[in-house]
Amino acid sequence: MSRPNPKQKFALQSIALLTLGVVSVLVWNVLKKTYLSDVQVLSVARVSDPLPNLFGDIYFFLSISFLGVLLGITCAFYLEEWLPETNWVRCLIEGQVSILSGVPSLLYGLLVVTVFLPYSGAFQRTQGFPPAGDLNTASLQVSSFQGDTTLFYIAVLTFVLLVVPRVIKATQEALRSVPIPIRESAYALGANRWQVLTKHVVPLSLPRVVAGACRAMSCALAVSALFIGIYISGYTIQPGQMSGRFALFLGAALLLSIFSSFLSQRYPLASTRHI
Amino acid sequence: MNTNSDRRSHTAPIIEINDLTVRYGDKPALNGISFDVYKNEILGIIGPAQSGKTTLLKVINRTLEFTAGTTVEGSVKLDGVDVNTVGDVYGLRRKIGMVLPLPVGLPLSIYDNVAFAPRTAGVRAKSELDEIVERCLQQAALWDEVKDRLNTLGTKLSGGQQQRLTIARALSHQPEILCLDEFSIAVDPITTMRIEDVLKELRAEMTILLVTNLVQQAKRLANRTAFMLNGDLVEIDTTDVIFSDSPGSQATYDYVNGTFG
Repeated sequence: MSRPNPKQKFALQSIALLTLGVVSVLVWNVLKKTYLSDVQVLSVARVSDPLPNLFGDIYFFLSISFLGVLLGITCAFYLEEWLPETNWVRCLIEGQVSILSGVPSLLYGLLVVTVFLPYSGAFQRTQGFPPAGDLNTASLQVSSFQGDTTLFYIAVLTFVLLVVPRVIKATQEALRSVPIPIRESAYALGANRWQVLTKHVVPLSLPRVVAGACRAMSCALAVSALFIGIYISGYTIQPGQMSGRFALFLGAALLLSIFSSFLSQRYPLASTRHI
Repeated sequence: MNTNSDRRSHTAPIIEINDLTVRYGDKPALNGISFDVYKNEILGIIGPAQSGKTTLLKVINRTLEFTAGTTVEGSVKLDGVDVNTVGDVYGLRRKIGMVLPLPVGLPLSIYDNVAFAPRTAGVRAKSELDEIVERCLQQAALWDEVKDRLNTLGTKLSGGQQQRLTIARALSHQPEILCLDEFSIAVDPITTMRIEDVLKELRAEMTILLVTNLVQQAKRLANRTAFMLNGDLVEIDTTDVIFSDSPGSQATYDYVNGTFG
């Protein structure tokens, strides 16, 4: 296979981007249909609970995180393996990623509560948490987001901001840790880029990529659990169902972070590993 | 250069290097060097660190392009085709076996390490692969030590064994040219001698570029020897002349006799 000329390269990149775009739109639509109906049902049942609706659906959470992780990994592979270091798109994304991934995950939760929810109209009257003891009034007031898509978009936006940069960063670090001599040796033996990637780079970096993804999801789950916990302790008189969710989120966050630590310990960065 | 061509005019050069200049950013690594390499010779390349020996090898098999910020000028022709404009770079690399200074065991089993290159080239038949693996491991003087554990990880071998594994790997795609970059620094003297014997036999089948820090190794093995210093080719001549009392350059004499470097 010869080296593609710039035109071919551009065409290939456009096709890849288009495919990614189309797939995202499709998945987005499926998700929207599935979850918006759920949100509606929940809203009808307990209109006073925008927070639990936002943070509370584990299925929604898992699928959106999974998508976020996939998007992050794909993006990192493209940046690291295909784009040259001087490419302006790469510079731009890497800059944003290093900013976003450095922000503590708690701040994203606060961002939702203090900015997204009040200004999106999800809480029309209360501008934040519904006041304790005022639940009945609140439930009447907040009924306006019944069937609203705002919560869905807020949730997606938050998870994209929280999970994707962390995944990109972890994946890039894992890819960079694959020793250059290994790549060079494989290339020197006549392997092409795809063979080097699938036979050496991916197997060597995979545990670290998975660990990074788990850590990112764990962060997001933990923040959700935190907000559900606050909600239970301060803002509802019937914590029953929410306690279960709280436990589920906290448990999942703990499990993921333990799994991630286990992976990082069992498989150190490829460059420091005696393979 | 003309003198060399005249001396060897009966064989066509397999590698023609013409006014090759390489820079890492602004820092020059090779300053317009030119020489030819002939078929079935062992060309020793000696010189202190930073003289551009490794860079030269990387230009030939085009792995230099993985280092960011390098510029290559001039031409390197392999079998008359300029490597910098060759269409099939993977095919080009298959013509060249490369052994790096420190052993790089690919994280695969011993068998897969040696079978990697034939597989990427499209060899699928198990019997054929078995044959290649056995032949290459024997050529690299490793077969007897590993024949019972071909499925263990190549990276579990000792340093010297790994280096012989990389030599076996470099031979596995039957290259026309074998580039050895200080292959012996991780190998004990006895094994080095065994590999050197193998290299002498291999000369019949291929051309060998031997970059070495051990000047005596070049003296033992090479037909011709090139002396490089700070990116310049100081001198290239038959090994006898380079190691004689009156080589073409005082610097060569000093380096070979250990007065400097």
